Parts: sequence; C-alpha cells; structure tokens
Amino acid sequence: MNRVNINRYKDLAFQVVGIISTLVGLVLLAIFIFSIIKEGIARIDLDFLSSLPSRKAEKAGILTAWTGTMWIFFLTAIISITIGVAAGVYLEEYAKKNWFNNLLEINISNLAGVPSVIYGILGLEIFVRTMRLGGSLLAGSFTLSLLIMPIIIVATREALKAVPSTIREAAYGLGASKWQTTSMQVLPAAAGGISTGVILALSRAVGETAPLIVIGALAYVPFVAKSPMDEFTVLPMQIFNWTSRPDHDFVINAAAGIIILLGITFLLNGIAVYLRNRWQKKISW
Amino acid sequence: MSETLNNEQLALNNLREDVEEMMQSVLAQFTKAQEALLNCDTNLAQEILSMEKKINSMDLRLDKSCENILALYSPLASNLRYTMAVMSISAQLERIADHAVGIAEYIDEGIIDEPYEDDILEKVKFKEMFETAISMIDDAIYSFINEDTNIVKWVFGKDKTLNKINKQTSDLIAALCKKNPKKVKQLLYLFSIMKKLERVGDLAKNIAEETVFYVDAKIIKHKKKKKYMP
Amino acid sequence: MAEENKLVEKPGNAPPEMEDNKFVITTHDANVYYGNTHAIKDVNIEIKANTVTAFIGPSGCGKSTFLRLFNRMNDYIESFRMTGDVVVNGQNIYHDKIRVEELRKKVGMVFQKPNPFPKSIFENVAFGLKIMGRKKKSELHEIVEKSLIQAALWDEVKDDLNKSALALSGGQQQRLCIARALAVEPTVLLMDEPASALDPISSAKIEELIFNLKQNYTIVIVTHNMSQAGRVSDKTAFFYLGELIEYGKTKNLFTNPEEELTERYITGRFG
Repeated sequence: MNRVNINRYKDLAFQVVGIISTLVGLVLLAIFIFSIIKEGIARIDLDFLSSLPSRKAEKAGILTAWTGTMWIFFLTAIISITIGVAAGVYLEEYAKKNWFNNLLEINISNLAGVPSVIYGILGLEIFVRTMRLGGSLLAGSFTLSLLIMPIIIVATREALKAVPSTIREAAYGLGASKWQTTSMQVLPAAAGGISTGVILALSRAVGETAPLIVIGALAYVPFVAKSPMDEFTVLPMQIFNWTSRPDHDFVINAAAGIIILLGITFLLNGIAVYLRNRWQKKISW
Repeated sequence: MSETLNNEQLALNNLREDVEEMMQSVLAQFTKAQEALLNCDTNLAQEILSMEKKINSMDLRLDKSCENILALYSPLASNLRYTMAVMSISAQLERIADHAVGIAEYIDEGIIDEPYEDDILEKVKFKEMFETAISMIDDAIYSFINEDTNIVKWVFGKDKTLNKINKQTSDLIAALCKKNPKKVKQLLYLFSIMKKLERVGDLAKNIAEETVFYVDAKIIKHKKKKKYMP
Repeated sequence: MAEENKLVEKPGNAPPEMEDNKFVITTHDANVYYGNTHAIKDVNIEIKANTVTAFIGPSGCGKSTFLRLFNRMNDYIESFRMTGDVVVNGQNIYHDKIRVEELRKKVGMVFQKPNPFPKSIFENVAFGLKIMGRKKKSELHEIVEKSLIQAALWDEVKDDLNKSALALSGGQQQRLCIARALAVEPTVLLMDEPASALDPISSAKIEELIFNLKQNYTIVIVTHNMSQAGRVSDKTAFFYLGELIEYGKTKNLFTNPEEELTERYITGRFG
C-alpha cells in the first residue's frame, strides 16, 4: 500500500471517528430532550405558568420561578454589561501596557475558572451582609454579575484587539480624540464580538443555581417579586427543589419546568443573536 | 563600486561595448582612407566600401539599444546622460564613416587615378590636416571611453589648427589651379576632400562635447568653451 | 536661515508663531529617537506652499518617520522622542500649547494601505466633520459632495452614498480616504506611499488627483517608486539612514544629482 493510499485511509478513518463523535453527542442530547418533553409537555398549560408554587403538585406553578429568572436576567445584564464593557474598554484602550496590567489581564482570565459557589460566598459577605441587601434580586444579580464579569471583560478585550489599528490611526489622523475614536469607530466595529461574549455570559448566568442558593434565594417563594429588593427564586432552583420531592407528580412538574427553562434560554439567545445580526448589518466587514 | 547586475546594467554594459566597437571601426575606416588616398590604392578603397554596410548597421543597432533602454528602464542621472550621449555619438560616427566612404569612392571609381604630388600636398598642408583630423577622432574616442574631460581640451585645440589650415585652403587651391591648368579637376577633388576633413573635425568636436555632457553634465555646444580650452 | 525665521512668544494661550515665513513647513535640526535608536539626524528642510514634495530613499531610511513629524502621528509610539523645531503654518507644533487635534485638521494624512472605516461612504467622509461638532445634515451633505468631487470619486459613488465603503475597489477606497482627509479642509496633505498597494491604473488616477490638488493644497508624498516621484513632484528629498542627503528640484536631482549617494540610489546601484 503506497503513501497516497495510506493517507486516504487515514482521511476516511478520521471522518468516520468525527461523525461518530458528533452523533454520540447529538443522539444523547436528542434522547434527553425527547424524554423530558414526553415527561413534562402535558403538564404545561396556562395554569402552570401563572400559578404560585404550592405543596400540592397539581396546583404548583412556576410563576415566581420564571419571573424571578427574567428579573435576574435583566438586572444582571444591565449591571454586568455596563461595568464589564467599560472595564474591558479601559483595560484595552486606555491602560498603559506595563507589567502590572499584563498581570491583571492574566488574572482576570483566571477568575473565569473559579467555581461559581465561591462567588456565592463572596456575594453573601459583601452584598447580603455588609451592604445589607439581604437575599434580594439585587444581591443575586450583583453576585452573578461578578461571576460573569471576567467573561465579558475578556470578550470585550478580544473584540477590541481584533479591530485593526489602521482604523484608530485613520481616526487620529483626522483629529479625533481618544474618546471619539473609541466610541465612534472602535466600539461599533467591535460590537459583534462583544455581543457574542455577552450572550454567552448571560446564558450562563440564567442557568446558575449554586451562588444564588448561597446568597439566600429561597426555594419556596409564594409571591411574585415586584422590586429589586424583594426576595426571589429562579427556575433552576425551583426545578432542583421539585426533583428532590418523593412525589412523582413533582418530578413531572420538574420536567415541565426544564422545558420552560430551555425555552426561555433558547428564546433569549435567539433574540440576542437576532439583535447582533441586525447591528452587524450596519457595520459590514 | 560594486555593480548591481540587472537588466538595466547589462543593457548599459552592452551599449558600452557596442559603441566602443563602432568607434574603433570608424577610426579604422578613416585611417584607411588616408592611406588609400595617398597611395591611390584601389584595393584598400574597396575594403573601405565593403565595410560601409556593417558600420551603418552598427549605427542602427546603437539607436535601437538606446531606444530600448529609455523605454524599459527610464534611466536617470549618469545612466540617462550616457544613453543620450551614445545616441548623438553614433550619428556623428556614422557621418565620419560616410566621409571616409566618399574619399574611397573617388579612388574606386577612378576619379582620382594617380597619387597627388608631394609638393602640391605640402602647399595646402594636406597631410597635416589629415593627421590632425584623425588624431581628433582618436582623442575624442579616447576621452569618451576613459571618461576624461581633460583630453577634450586637445580636441578643441586641434580644431583651431584645422580651422587655420581651412581658412587658407580656397586661396591656395585657386593659386595652384592657375599654375597647373591641366590638373584643375584633380585639384578640385582635393579641395572637396579637404572640406570633408574640416567637417570631420567638426564631428569629432561634437563627440567631445557629448563626453563633457556625459561626464560633467554640462552642455557646452554652441557656447564658448573657456574651461575646456588648452 | 535660522536668523531670519525666529519663533516669537505670543500672549495668552496661543502657541508661539513664526515671524516672516514663506514656507508652509520648516524644520530646524530635527532629530528623532526611538529609545536608543537615532532615527532622524539633524534634518533641515523648507517646503513651499502649493508644491508637491517627494521623499525618497531605501527602506528604513526614515522618510515615513520624518513625514509623521508634521502631524505628530509618531506621538503614539512609546519610545518616541524628538528634538529641534518643526514649524507648520508658522507654528512650532511640538510646543506644549499646541492641541494635536487642531493640528491634524490642518495637516491631513493618507496611508499606504487604504483604511476606510467599516461604515458607509457617506459616514466615512462625514466623520471628520462630526468630530468637529458639525451636525447639520445639509451642511454635511454639501461638504461630503464637495470632498468626493475633489477626490475624483463623486461620479462613481453618487448614486448610493450609503453603500459600505468596504465594497469599493482598492483604488476607490484610497480616493475615499483622500476625500475623507479633504473634508476637514486641511492646508497640507501628507501621503505615505498612497499608491503602492494599488494597480497601475488606480495609481495613475491618484497621480492625476495629486496634480489637480496641488492648486489648493501643499502635498508631501513618501514614495519608493522613482518614476512616480518624477511624474508628480516639484522637489525631491533623498533620505538615507535618517539623514537628508539631498533636497532640490526633481528635474535636477534626476538628471544630475549633486551627491554621489543620491546618484547611486537613483541609478539603482545600491548594494
């Protein structure tokens, strides 16, 4: 068998391995989604979506949970995007490139790998106790913002790095100040990359449970949160809570909750990607 | 000076070789013409005539090479001046060669069928004029090939000599015609040959001027050549 | 020369001005250092208004660095340091009181590789105006049109100014960058090898443009294309290893340069 044939067989072998690997993942995912849907789809109706939780499985609903998730999502989005993007812009465009800032850059990336529970503990001490915010939505979103901040900062910096320096040069050459250059040319050009990072970060925040448990989000919240200072619960917590009940009906509720959580995640991601694509059309690379 | 080797440099090197070849050929033609005339040698005359085509083709080839160099390489500074100088020089050389052929034709066609008498030649200072003309061509060629503008002085000095002789030529020939009425025809041809020599001197002077243009970037034609006079 | 043109302190906040200047750009003993590297050595030059000056020289000789002194674009390099005077439009531009943004509106720049913003044609040309605070739509449209006409691009793009600038060809993009620079009404236009990334026809269009712009602007162009320098410039400055070797009328420099180094460079005999 000569060289060319050996290479061809290797090629084919790799393709087969690749296809199998992909299929394994897809098939398992499909089984999971299918079984969840089979388990819980029947339970989903308007009552389920609009009812408060209760000890009786038939009456229990996820109103507080999904409204809590939406609250957490929007509050975290506002806080983390503002602070994260600003920090990213400052670090990339304004800060001097010395050893200190290089150290900072490495450590911010490291923070992304810290277990989310640690952030919960941090949040508990700073936001819940010291700032006396209690187990509120505000404390929860501040905590989650800390958690996803490194992702947003890194994504912002990478997106800014990807904007060619010739763009900045052109702007400076026309007499633009640093701020004008950054805000009017560099940021819009980096928006695509930044929003991708933001979407990823927020998706993670929506699914987080551990830090929220630590800061004191409750599993049983029989009212809808109306202000950022209210106590709350989120879908992942509600689902976890239901799965630990012996009653099989609650398991069905949990399945239904999972479907809703997946649906919300897909919906939020979808809207974000749509918005990003619309923005991208204005800036055509 | 280490020379970069590229097409432009190669072309200029070839141009240099070709112009030197034409220069030597034309000098040889003219020198032969002197001998052929003094000895009335028809064989030598025919040699001169047979070279005519070759020299004309050298002229055409030099013109073509210069045209190519200008078109392809847009030469600058000394390269430009060299190319321009060669274009002019090849035309001057071709005219010098033409005069040599003219003299050869007189001999070959039997218009001059016997050598001139020495005392006649003495009277009009013919040999001196011919020698001067040849040495002017030689000097002009030497100064161009060696890029030496000092030699140019000699050319202009000798041109003065030529002009001095030339001033008296018509009177002297007229006097000789009166004395030797049977030889009027030969004397007239002698006169025309001496006019040719005077023109050849001018042509050699032009070549010297091109050398000054090339080496010193100075255009001295039509001007008083104070700096370049001996 | 140094005695005639003295810098005079002005009252208040204005930067010092030059007495009696007939030149748009003058440098006195300009030196540039990048850390320990001495990049530009004691360069003295005077550039007249409404002329085209070409800077030529081998790669790394400092011609681009020197060009960028005129609009202080070297400031962005960490290790940059300069000594000497650079006087533009009568003002010493490295003086403390100079505002760099103002300078750059008077001294525009076009770069080697066309670098339009990833926005529409209109937005590109209008950017310079917007950063000056001009907002009125009619005013912007008028100036954008005028600039595009001056840059010989108007006819090709007038039907759709909202098209993305990146959809234009390389030559068109470069003319767009020229229009963008002209929109802020500079007096000097600096061009750093503006045609080197373009095909011969686009390059020829740029040369034609330079010829027309000369009437209203002073142009300094860095080029390593000798024949281009011959075609477009009135005066040429030859740089080598950071020094200004020779500066004179282009036709003289090209037929009979004074310096042997210049002669060697332009006849291609550099090692």
